[in-house]
Amino acid sequence: MREETRRKLAALSQDEQVLLRPLVDTSRGYYVTATLLAVVAVWGLFAYYVQVRYGLGRTGLNRPGYWGIYIICFVFFIGISHAGTLISAILRVSKAEWRRSITRSAELITVLVIGFGAIQPIVDLGRPDRVLNVIFHAQLASPLLWDVISIGAYFTACTIYLYVPLLPDLALIRDVGLKAPRLYRFVAAGYRDTPSQRAILERVIGVLSILVIPIAVSVHTIIGWIFAMTLRPMWHSTIFGPYFVMGAIYSGIAAILVAMFMLRRSFGLQEYFKEIHFDYLGRMLLLFSLLWFYFTFAEYLTAFYGAEPAEMRTFWAKVSGPFAIPFWAMVSGCFFIPVALMARRSTRTPRGTLVAGIAVMIGMWLERFNIVVPTSVNPRWELETIGSYMPSWVELSIMAGAFAGFVLLYMVATKFIPVVSIWEIKEGREQSVRVVAERVAGYLPAEEKATTP
Amino acid sequence: MSPTRRQFVWTMGAAGMAVALQEVPDVLWTADDVIDPGWAPGLEERIVSTCLVCPARCGIVGRVVDGKLIRILGNPLHPMSRGGLCPRGVAGVQLLYHPERIAGPLVREGERGSGQWREASLEEAIGLVTERLSALRSEDRSEALALLSGHCPGSMDDLWRSFLEAFGSANHVDDGYEDGLDAIMTLMHGVPRRPSYDLERSDLVLSFGVPLFESWWSPLQAFVAFADPEGERRPRARFIQVDTRFSKTAARCQEFVGIHPETYGVLALGIAYVLLRDELFDSRFVAQHVRGFENFTDERGRPREGYRSLVTRNYRTEDVSQITGVPVEKITALARTFAGSPQAVALCGSAVTQAPNGLLAAMAIHSLNVLMGRINRPGGVLFRNDVPLSPMPETVLDDTARGGIGRGSLAGPAPPFGDGNSALRFARAVAESDAPGIDALFLYYSDPLASSSHPEVWAEALAKIPFVVSFSPFLDESTQYADVIIPDLLPYERWQDAPTPDTYPYPIWGLTRPLVEPFAGGAHTGDAVLALAAALGGGISESLPYESFEALLKARAQGLFAARRGAAFGDAFQREHHRQMEERGWWLPDFRNVDQLWDELVSRGGWMDLFYDHDDPAYIARTPDGRVDLMPAALLRAVGGEGRRPYIDLVTRDAVPTDDFPLRLIPHRVSTLSSGTLGLQRWMAEQPGILPATQWEPWIQVHPETAHELGFGERDLVWVVSARGRYRARVSEFHGTAPDNVCVPYGLRHPDGELANPLQILDGWSDPLTGLPSWTTTFVRLERA
Amino acid sequence: MPRWGMVIDLDRCTGCAACELACKSENNITTVSPEQAAMGRSMSWMKIMAEVEGDFPDNKLAFYPRPCMHCDNPPCIKVCPVRATYIDDEGIVGQIYSRCIGCRYCANACPYTVKYFNWYDPEWSESERQHLNPDVSVRPKGVIEKCSFCHHRLQKAREDARAEGRKLREEDYQPACAEVCPTGAIVFGDLDDPTHRVSVLKDEPRAMRLMEDLGTAPKVYYLRPRA
Ligand SMILES: Nc1nc2c(c(=O)[nH]1)N[C@H]1C(S)=C(S)[C@@H](COP(=O)(O)OP(=O)(O)OC[C@H]3O[C@@H](n4cnc5c(=O)[nH]c(N)nc54)[C@H](O)[C@@H]3O)O[C@H]1N2
Ligand SMILES: Nc1nc2c(c(=O)[nH]1)N[C@H]1C(S)=C(S)[C@@H](COP(=O)(O)OP(=O)(O)OC[C@H]3O[C@@H](n4cnc5c(=O)[nH]c(N)nc54)[C@H](O)[C@@H]3O)O[C@H]1N2
Ligand code: SF4
Ligand code: SF4
Ligand code: SF4
Ligand code: SF4
Ligand code: SF4
Ligand SMILES: [Mo]
Repeated sequence: MREETRRKLAALSQDEQVLLRPLVDTSRGYYVTATLLAVVAVWGLFAYYVQVRYGLGRTGLNRPGYWGIYIICFVFFIGISHAGTLISAILRVSKAEWRRSITRSAELITVLVIGFGAIQPIVDLGRPDRVLNVIFHAQLASPLLWDVISIGAYFTACTIYLYVPLLPDLALIRDVGLKAPRLYRFVAAGYRDTPSQRAILERVIGVLSILVIPIAVSVHTIIGWIFAMTLRPMWHSTIFGPYFVMGAIYSGIAAILVAMFMLRRSFGLQEYFKEIHFDYLGRMLLLFSLLWFYFTFAEYLTAFYGAEPAEMRTFWAKVSGPFAIPFWAMVSGCFFIPVALMARRSTRTPRGTLVAGIAVMIGMWLERFNIVVPTSVNPRWELETIGSYMPSWVELSIMAGAFAGFVLLYMVATKFIPVVSIWEIKEGREQSVRVVAERVAGYLPAEEKATTP
Repeated sequence: MSPTRRQFVWTMGAAGMAVALQEVPDVLWTADDVIDPGWAPGLEERIVSTCLVCPARCGIVGRVVDGKLIRILGNPLHPMSRGGLCPRGVAGVQLLYHPERIAGPLVREGERGSGQWREASLEEAIGLVTERLSALRSEDRSEALALLSGHCPGSMDDLWRSFLEAFGSANHVDDGYEDGLDAIMTLMHGVPRRPSYDLERSDLVLSFGVPLFESWWSPLQAFVAFADPEGERRPRARFIQVDTRFSKTAARCQEFVGIHPETYGVLALGIAYVLLRDELFDSRFVAQHVRGFENFTDERGRPREGYRSLVTRNYRTEDVSQITGVPVEKITALARTFAGSPQAVALCGSAVTQAPNGLLAAMAIHSLNVLMGRINRPGGVLFRNDVPLSPMPETVLDDTARGGIGRGSLAGPAPPFGDGNSALRFARAVAESDAPGIDALFLYYSDPLASSSHPEVWAEALAKIPFVVSFSPFLDESTQYADVIIPDLLPYERWQDAPTPDTYPYPIWGLTRPLVEPFAGGAHTGDAVLALAAALGGGISESLPYESFEALLKARAQGLFAARRGAAFGDAFQREHHRQMEERGWWLPDFRNVDQLWDELVSRGGWMDLFYDHDDPAYIARTPDGRVDLMPAALLRAVGGEGRRPYIDLVTRDAVPTDDFPLRLIPHRVSTLSSGTLGLQRWMAEQPGILPATQWEPWIQVHPETAHELGFGERDLVWVVSARGRYRARVSEFHGTAPDNVCVPYGLRHPDGELANPLQILDGWSDPLTGLPSWTTTFVRLERA
Repeated sequence: MPRWGMVIDLDRCTGCAACELACKSENNITTVSPEQAAMGRSMSWMKIMAEVEGDFPDNKLAFYPRPCMHCDNPPCIKVCPVRATYIDDEGIVGQIYSRCIGCRYCANACPYTVKYFNWYDPEWSESERQHLNPDVSVRPKGVIEKCSFCHHRLQKAREDARAEGRKLREEDYQPACAEVCPTGAIVFGDLDDPTHRVSVLKDEPRAMRLMEDLGTAPKVYYLRPRA
């Protein structure tokens, strides 16, 4: 760090110092990690090049196993993207004060991962060169097109929803002159944090946080519908919309937990990501693991009880057939492990939630695997041969590349954006206690007057 | 020192760009231009011809665009195939454009079999052969020329016969489809030809192991009879398949009767027992036309037990059921159905005859037709007429030729009935003899190194023959061993005649003609033989005075004109019309002279004569007393007391499983196979079996329980091991295979060309009466490969 | 307006696969390598499936030749984001190869699994190029293909009929599979035209359609094998 920057930092308040330091102070470990991730990402690009050059044949996809890793990752990434915006919006709308330090990092996940999700179906295309046909020859009855629209809307909304609350912090960086003055002058867009600007800002955030909820819900509902709109066994189910939304939020919370743990570690943010945050999010995780179980149980019981032969073939393939290992790993990751860890106060620690979060992420990836692959390879017509699917190195490399690219981008973003909203913390310190006290008071019956006749 | 952020970003970016830009222009999204961009709709023709891929000889129409054969369609005018084709017929285009076709005549350069060849002109190649053959004749050793010829009925066969005769050699060795039925007809009916089956009019077809829908003489004849595609008959015929495996034929017949291997004859006599016991048989026919039914005295005056007594004594249904595994009620029901269907016929083929007691078993089966009087009756067994072609010109035998023929054939004495397995007998004789025997061998439509059950004997024989000429268009195993190759044209490029097989009751003369311009390097073997004859001169060229094979065919067609029968192929209406006219003794030709007839034949695909005279007793039997003989004297004489008594010794007692070799091998042909030894065409290799749905690889079918007991699963690669050898294939579990059998397709290769030929591990038994090899008595075990 | 359809008599079909081969030959369907085939990537617009029951010697079997069902209510076309698969006025469900983006959604949506994807560019060997049918375009890599009811033959038949100034007859438009079938098991024609055989056969008591309960309304009917 340069001397001048150091001086500029020192002039700031405690919160500002801690939260802006990562923007200017980069460790050796950061570079090493970034390089590694970049290598993996470039390797993924190379794998994609191979796929484009020679054809989708380089994957393990086949007939009837038409869909695989890419579609799994698509659902998974878009699911993760529900981390931020949706959760932060819900917390904002419900005025959960403990949200203040976590919304930013969560929203950032959304915006960055959504792109990685959105490219997955393009990677999956046999003819990516014709992807614009989706616009030129749009066929509105196709759930895939609904998806293009809703993901587009979601991405836009999320970006705004990330950007607007970012303005005061960007303005701060610009004003302090911490780095890249021209860039910040541009992105801060003349925001001066005047009271009237602040009022507008808060109103916009308020509107956005309501607006973004239905969009987010639509996104994953529609992803669920991509499957549900076909007549395939164990896809054709009305539960898929809500099931996918629930699953998305679930994996989103897990992603936030993991991200928070990492940020807290690398940037020394123990004071901002407190045990209580992990505890609260852990409780949410617990709630969702129960919800997950409920939905999954409902979905499998319906299939099992109906006992339609075509459904049962897929059902047994998952429960005790060739997909039993991913199936039961999914149940452990999404249910047993998080419940066991999150149900007890003593394991709802940052470390405990990290383990649970990772388990849920893996579990939810497997859940998507268990949705996409077993149905795909088990054709509805019983005379058709049952297929199998084993991803090729190309698919695995592209997946690794996407994960690496996402983390890398997140890391780079932390060099430009404070991962905790500085102004919201400040606002919290200045107003929250009073506001909450008033609000709580508002919940209760008036003490004195009640007794006077 | 840690890199600055700027450096870092730039390095990563540059690396990414480098990868992205590299070879970008190579990323082509369009399929490469398989159709020439300048292509415009070209000249399209539809040319009528005949399929020569299997013995059936169906009618085809070639769709030719700009001189290329694009598609093979069925010829709806062909009376037997009626516009239908089997998959092999359709895939003929891939035979024509087969990548392994030889580009032109080749002369061996290096060691034999080393694959070193020199290209030669046709004249040079024929010159070389002429030189060798002239030398043989001038040494007075004309019999040292031998021909090994596969299935090629019609004028090609006649041409070869004339050529060899005029040249002076009796070593004309057949290597084709043998089922021994001609021997049986000779014995019982005095008619030395295969029976015809009037399947199209049968109301019940009781097949003893004949894979009617898969191979046999004419799957198309069977398809049309089975399905009645033109909807002429109501109700359709009933097909019952008695078989040791649940074959594709068995699968689609209305009834499948599973049976223990090698017990077909016993089941037939079980049925006969019921027919006799319940007096269901045609006693009038038997009384009028049959001999050997009741007890009789033989030539030497000894009393002999007749058919009725033998069967009634020995084939009580309980015993038959014990032996065959077919329940008693089923036997009775079969007998009743058979007797109750006035146009029922029982047929058998090589599944029955290629066994140690094959001849006797097939006689037992055919006796059902005799017992029910289903000879020369609609829907029954018929003997069809030859196509009334002009005969080949009388061969002119000079002294050399007479001498050569006089010295006989090398294969030595034939078996008592028929001439089974003569190719192997010939090869053995060559391999075992020390004296110079054969100096020159012609290979026509035959690839013994790949197809013989004893390729090692053939290898030895070929090593002793100094001069081998192959006419194969493909570089098959034996052709690789040749000294001169004069590659034949493919059937889609040449003239040939194509008589339907004997199983079809009417004489049909299909014409095969060039659909496309003949391949530049190839030479019609018929033309090559005519050229050879001309070059050899003398009696040989006098015997074959034709300038081309086409001219020969045209000359022979004169006989059709002179016969004052038959007509060119026609549609259903024309066929019916022609039949009714001939029934009334009328014949109204559409042509006035031979040239017109020829043009008609060429444009419609061939000649047919759909009238069959059911009143002529000569079609029942041509034995001395005109009766069908159930106890042929010749047979009784030949078998003596050898344990081969007719209607008694029908099961080989020695063929039993052992601990070492517990499973019985059931070889069968697949319906997609075009030629015994050539790799399958790509279209077919992709799904050779249909059942099972295996792709590209040879398989064996094993009952799932047997497979599990042995520790094998679906698709495991195994060795099939017999006492004589082994080969590799993949396991396919199938509930239609009996638990103690393994059903193995023959004729398949692994994708790398390795043969998977179960015939090469056969135990080597044969039927001493016909000489036919036994394909039914080999036992094997499976080992993991 | 005709409504083209097919009736396949399972009682006649012997599983010979001539239809499968004729379709490959007519429609330039590429043959993939053995390795690719083992991965499940071979193509066959018409495919013979076997329904096997029972144990030796009480086996039963029916062959089901399976083209595209050309559903009247095709679930495949609804899901295509770019309208690269569509149903025309006469009920033929077609593919637009030059527009397809290769998402394989339609393939997953088809309950009959009749769609095939070009995982690679087709590799035509020199010998296979010789016999490509000039009437049918070859498909590039990355797109979906399937049975077209030999639509190109309809166009040709129409032109011919127009040139001769007459109406289209039943026998004018027959797909390659129906034309070659040696047992006459495949019958093709206009389901709504009472003079066409299919219109009668489809109402036989033996007639059924695959997975009728899905409401896809296939235009390929099967006649159940007789007992
Ligand atoms: N598809 C096709 N057809 C052809 C030909 C061709 O190349 N392709 N070639 C022609 C030629 S050359 C020939 S020789 C014929 C062959 O034609 P066939 O002789 O008619 O057919 P295979 O399949 O060889 O006959 C063997 C049958 O016997 C049955 N079998 C029944 N009982 C027994 C038993 O007790 N033991 C054993 N081991 N088997 C039993 C098997 O199940 C099998 O179906 O086909 C002719 N037709
Ligand atoms: N591997 C294997 N061995 C077998 C069999 C099998 O199916 N597979 N089947 C057994 C049976 S039943 C029989 S009958 C024999 C048959 O065995 P072969 O008599 O050897 O007959 P194929 O193998 O059918 O054909 C022989 C050769 O004829 C050549 N040929 C193909 N078309 C033409 C043509 O148009 N003109 C000329 N001149 N030659 C042509 C090909 O090169 C082919 O290799 O084999 C027996 N052995
Ligand atoms: S049955 Fe034989 S002759 Fe007829 S099409 Fe098939 S291969 Fe050709
Ligand atoms: S061609 Fe006809 S008989 Fe052969 S498989 Fe096809 S539908 Fe069945
Ligand atoms: S069978 Fe499948 S591909 Fe054909 S129309 Fe119906 S849904 Fe579409
Ligand atoms: S694969 Fe092609 S035809 Fe099928 S849904 Fe996608 S774009 Fe449409
Ligand atoms: S209708 Fe045409 S495209 Fe469809 S299966 Fe038959 S031959 Fe193939
Ligand atoms: Mo044969």
